[in-house]
Amino acid sequence: MSGVGPVEPEGSTLARDAGRSSPPVPGSARGRLAESLARHRRAVLAGAAATALLVGGGCLYAARERAPQPSQLPPSQRVRITYEKAELPPPSASTSDFSFSVLLTTKSGPPVTVAGISQPYDAISLSSTPRTPFPAGTGPARRIAITMHVLDCSQVPGNAGLPFLDVTLRNTDAMENHSFILGERYAQDVSRALRSICAHPAR
Amino acid sequence: MRQRSLIAITAALAAGALTLTACGSRDEGGSGDSSGGGTTVVIGVDAPLTGDLSALGLGIKNSVDLAAKTANKDKYVEGVTFKVEALDDQAQPSSGQQNASTFVSKDEVLGVVGPLNSSVGESMQKVLDDAKLVQVSPANTGPGLTQGADWQTKKVRPYKAYFRTATTDAIQGPFAAQYVYNDAKKKKVFVIDDKKTYGAGLAATFTDEFKKLGGKIVGTEHIDPDTKDFSTVATKVKNSGADVVYYGGEYPQAGPLGKQIKAAGAKIPLVGGDGIYDPTFIQLAGKDSTGDLATSVGAPVEDLPSAKEFVAKYKEAGYKEAYGAYGGYSYDSAWAIIEAVKKVVEDNDGKLPDDARAKVTETMQNVSFDGVTGKVSFDEFGDTTNKQLTVYSVEGGEWKPVKSGTYTG
Repeated sequence: MSGVGPVEPEGSTLARDAGRSSPPVPGSARGRLAESLARHRRAVLAGAAATALLVGGGCLYAARERAPQPSQLPPSQRVRITYEKAELPPPSASTSDFSFSVLLTTKSGPPVTVAGISQPYDAISLSSTPRTPFPAGTGPARRIAITMHVLDCSQVPGNAGLPFLDVTLRNTDAMENHSFILGERYAQDVSRALRSICAHPAR
Repeated sequence: MRQRSLIAITAALAAGALTLTACGSRDEGGSGDSSGGGTTVVIGVDAPLTGDLSALGLGIKNSVDLAAKTANKDKYVEGVTFKVEALDDQAQPSSGQQNASTFVSKDEVLGVVGPLNSSVGESMQKVLDDAKLVQVSPANTGPGLTQGADWQTKKVRPYKAYFRTATTDAIQGPFAAQYVYNDAKKKKVFVIDDKKTYGAGLAATFTDEFKKLGGKIVGTEHIDPDTKDFSTVATKVKNSGADVVYYGGEYPQAGPLGKQIKAAGAKIPLVGGDGIYDPTFIQLAGKDSTGDLATSVGAPVEDLPSAKEFVAKYKEAGYKEAYGAYGGYSYDSAWAIIEAVKKVVEDNDGKLPDDARAKVTETMQNVSFDGVTGKVSFDEFGDTTNKQLTVYSVEGGEWKPVKSGTYTG
């Protein structure tokens, strides 16, 4: 978890002390210190800069240790797939296919490969563009086109509320299967497409 | 020359010392309750601390305690020391409601973590909301608590002070149905529930999706959670020809129920939700529980480095009870309150305002941080934006993860 304390340097810097408004009394301890600081201004400023750098860098280092870095996360926790939109077949079309697009985003870290995409219904097959395997890539969201091909209308679910996409993700350490549940809009579009296709099955 | 070097070296040594102090102390071990001085803020915990579900309730309490101790040790909120006050609801709605009133009456309480049970949550919400006292449940999964009684047709948030870090049965039930039908290839289910808000609700969302997928419901029954003799139901299951049982309810009943169904001759898996996802289920269900399944909220602990850190710190703190299914969620629920208090204090010149409760509740809506269970933040209903689920199977006397999913809708 992250629970870092405030990242603020404490205490005044020597440079600030050197600029106090009331003049030191000559010959006093404070006067001798002020003279020394004035003579060695460059070393003092360099020391102050080093102080600021060390404090800031040290605090950043401490902060980095507390929050898990994206590279430590397994692929399923770095990759996110969201539903974009469907290309529904026209109502009277005689086709077994329907297509939709999803957006894939990946948090920065070591490369992740999308090794496979599938869906769980036996009566439907799936293909993607680009074809798997392909690199997930970091940066802006990547559009993946998915085409579902209906094999047997008698076996497809009429109105499933929570259809998944099953995705196999791979990095150098692990291969993971993870399901992405794309939500109500996806579920409604899939249901509508299946009803349309199965009302006018392709010969 | 010598003097210049001396000044530069002194500056470097001072920088080293400042680095150690300015960044806050790291957790080197031990769970000291160091006082931050100034104001005391109490985080209330409502959970079943005694009774059948106490294994889960104590994990919730301990995890909140760990969060408070961590915040105090790190002096996370300047001038504020966090304390935890835990009240036992024994999984009873009336007790939860009484506890809510108790928390409201104590001015130092600025947030409540809990409860475990959705039925208890229903009884607490209005009391806390009327007092603008924020409530974050780590475990309630009944959809209506955030989305209203008619959530299936029109979602309307009933209480602005209620939030949760666990996802809902609107997703958990269908997720289980999809796994049972497509992955486990079971087509005939016997559905049983305990008639309570959580169990009946979860069984309903499972059933709905299972039917839509083409599955058959070959029998339904309700059980009385106060009894432990399920022989009549077990016989009905055997005679139904079901290839799987789905149980909406909790592990104290699910364990014996599963055992008795198998003893009656129906050697079929029992599937349940997060309410049965506890090691106690496996103890109660016996060696024939191999292959039984449970869904639970969140990704497996092994998958999240942040969760591994929580597990290590929990062990180091020396609590007697396991953190359980909701430990990570409880830690995050408490931390969400801590984050909200921090923001309120910072926005008010370093002190709590007179209307602290209302401000903390208001601020909770925009809390966002990387927690034990992943990113913690809330949508417009007070539901978590991090909706992950996992299917676990009993293998070798333990729950093992077999499938994980993320809801991105």
